[in-house]
Amino acid sequence: MASSDLKSAALMDQMKAHFSTDAGKAITKKIGLVYQINIAPKKIGFNEEIYVVDLKKGEVTKGPYEGGKPDATFSFTDADFIKIATGKMNPQFAFMRGAMKVKGSLSAAQKFTPDIFPKPSKM
Amino acid sequence: MAMRELVTGGAACAVPGSSSSSNPLGAFANALIGSSSQKERLQEIPTSTLNTSGNNLYSGAGEPLSALPGAESEQHLQHESKGSEFVSGFHAANDNRLADVWDGIQNPQIPHFPGREGQTTFPLGHPQLQPELNGPPQRVLSSFLHSFVNSSHGGVPFGPTQLPILGLSEGDKRCIRDRSSIMARHFFADKSEDFINGQVNALLSSLEIDNHALARGHISGRHSELEQYWNEPQIMTPGPHTGDGWADEFAQHRVGQGDPNAWALSFERQHGAGGWASEFEHEQAQMTSVGRMAGANIPSLAAMEQTRMLAHTLAQNSNPKFQNSKFLQFVSKMSRGELTIEDNQVKPASGDWANEYQQQYNAGPSSWADQGPDRWADDFAAERAHHGPVDEQWVNEFSKLQVNDWADEFGRQVGEGVLGDDSADNWASAYDEYLNEQAVVKQKSDASRGVYVFSDLNPYVGHPDPLREGQELFRKGLLSEAVLALEAEVLKNPENAEGWRLLGVAHAENDDDQQAIASMMRAQEADPTNLEVLLALGVSHTNELEQQAALKYLYSWLRHHPEYGKIAPPELSDSLYYADVARTFNEAAQMSPEDADVHIVLGVLYNLSREYDKAIESFQTALKLKPRDYSLWNKLGATQANSVQSADAIYAYQRALDLKPNYVRAWANMGISYANQGMYEDSIRYYVRALAMNPKADNAWQYLRISLSCASRNDMMEACDSRNLDVLQKEFPL
Repeated sequence: MASSDLKSAALMDQMKAHFSTDAGKAITKKIGLVYQINIAPKKIGFNEEIYVVDLKKGEVTKGPYEGGKPDATFSFTDADFIKIATGKMNPQFAFMRGAMKVKGSLSAAQKFTPDIFPKPSKM
Repeated sequence: MAMRELVTGGAACAVPGSSSSSNPLGAFANALIGSSSQKERLQEIPTSTLNTSGNNLYSGAGEPLSALPGAESEQHLQHESKGSEFVSGFHAANDNRLADVWDGIQNPQIPHFPGREGQTTFPLGHPQLQPELNGPPQRVLSSFLHSFVNSSHGGVPFGPTQLPILGLSEGDKRCIRDRSSIMARHFFADKSEDFINGQVNALLSSLEIDNHALARGHISGRHSELEQYWNEPQIMTPGPHTGDGWADEFAQHRVGQGDPNAWALSFERQHGAGGWASEFEHEQAQMTSVGRMAGANIPSLAAMEQTRMLAHTLAQNSNPKFQNSKFLQFVSKMSRGELTIEDNQVKPASGDWANEYQQQYNAGPSSWADQGPDRWADDFAAERAHHGPVDEQWVNEFSKLQVNDWADEFGRQVGEGVLGDDSADNWASAYDEYLNEQAVVKQKSDASRGVYVFSDLNPYVGHPDPLREGQELFRKGLLSEAVLALEAEVLKNPENAEGWRLLGVAHAENDDDQQAIASMMRAQEADPTNLEVLLALGVSHTNELEQQAALKYLYSWLRHHPEYGKIAPPELSDSLYYADVARTFNEAAQMSPEDADVHIVLGVLYNLSREYDKAIESFQTALKLKPRDYSLWNKLGATQANSVQSADAIYAYQRALDLKPNYVRAWANMGISYANQGMYEDSIRYYVRALAMNPKADNAWQYLRISLSCASRNDMMEACDSRNLDVLQKEFPL
């Protein structure tokens, strides 16, 4: 079994692979920022798994960012992250509901939109 | 903090008539005040700066003393700076709650006490109210203030006590006096004015704060304009209060709490930043200690300032849509808090407020936990309750956001148009969406909880044989019609496993996994060992990335298989490990390599573990055995797409669609594959095609929206949001 039970982990894996494609590379060119994403299974702040989506280098890594300060850090629950990445919930809306916490600059956070994530296909 | 109220209290505050008991703000206030009274909890909280040797805050060591208010007031204390240190130390420790409560009720209007004395002989038979009087001064002050707050919960008279010299500065004293006066009126809303004065006087005299000497201190005639400004709001009397109004009122009140900043800001508006700065410095010098007293409140002051700026910026946005948005109304309402500061008279409704508050307090977290586990207020309270270290609290989180706090930054960027014209719009619609969501949230949560949601109007109800009709429609590929007929069937025969199963299949092919899962669960109830149902449940849960549930159903499939059941050890069924299940399935596949089904299940299983190469191999093996299985082609395609082989995926989907032209899921998957390759225009056409066949496919609507935005087709956004398929189909023919 995959190392994480989080739904988001599946998406992060897909994201990782996505960076090898032309579309993935286009995104890194377009955004060029580093996001750290803290994902909690149930409650924000508890048992978080930390991912770094590096849209400069085109990498997804697990664990806190080591190259300095990420441009923005987000905290979500697993389910809410999926909702945001798949466009079910928009990020501003998530922020207002408290479903998303943000640290870092807003201009960086504003570029965090569902279109940077590849969409999972369904069997 | 004000900004957070926008976030948490948003809906309730902006929508009149919403029940106060469901107001997150109420919960919030409740959490603040409630927890401040919970000694046990407080003691669990690690204190960052306190010397922890004095372990019990309420050791009851105090000696009752009678002290007359004002009597010691001449003893102005020497250590101004020291006093501020004490106060800030006490904030840095564990008293943010108190400080918040304190701040929440802070109101710079000066209460005029009649100078009544002799209220100080209240009985003192409540040891739990006795603060600890030994230890470092900040501890003493902290526990003393806590005991004051606690006295409110029992309505117990608060006795004056002699405290060691605390070295409070004038500012500290003024701050404590103002806040305690006002807070007491909220706490003791049901008590007489005399009682309240007595309580406050007892507190103040113990702290050696003179109620009169400081009375006019903080707005002396120096700021006449300010004073004018100041008087304005006090003339405004709050409208009639209902029970429901209290939270709103309280929110405004809280927003208005930051007196020094509010003044400064009001002042700034009148005089511009330059003149303001020097005045403010002056003011600030005097108010430093007040600010320190505010401790945890500083972020909230900052946030309030931002709210105001935000409202100001937003108000200048001439976009009519935005001007009419509830979001703006709400933000400006919030920022007006500073102008609608309430005076501290006890209102008739305050009794209701207090009762309501008390009820909430008694009911504990459950009353607002009802609002759903994902509610942030819930998390917030839990965090506070469990490990309230200052750093972890959102207030501070919020304030830690660099210099460019988001609201600040937001205001600036909207102002400069950096975010584009639509940005403010987006915020406005996001907020409206937030409000709307409250209405539909129940229906949606039903579906996501696995409860089947039936269509409202169903022409097939009353049909003599809806199952047969449904099967026929399904065979013709009219999935949405088939769904209706099959719904009619299961309404008529709720125990018909085949009706539910086919309904589930139709929903899955129609790209609605939530409904598919709900139907399949009913099918499984009716027929617990149906292999097709078990596989379908495994697939749907895999699609929803629900690994454990998926694993459970896939293993059940094996367990109930007439041939492979015997190699599936029953003891596994309780705690499933992926490796065990996969091994067993591989055994099964070796037993009968000609059985396409076992390869299909294996393929799903490898999807679950994201071993896509193996999954693709399994599906390809199965396809050799069952080349006309359109859902199998789709499974292959989806697996390829998820492992970024989008070009191959499109070929597989095409095969599926050749076999079943109305296969909505495959159309939607096509769109996804194009979008993931950055071919957004193409993806739009496929999404629209899928939606034309099933307008209820919510995922496709969401993806369509993303693709429209990526393809810079914002002109079609409205058609998407209003789900106007005619327009979309005309614009994006396939």
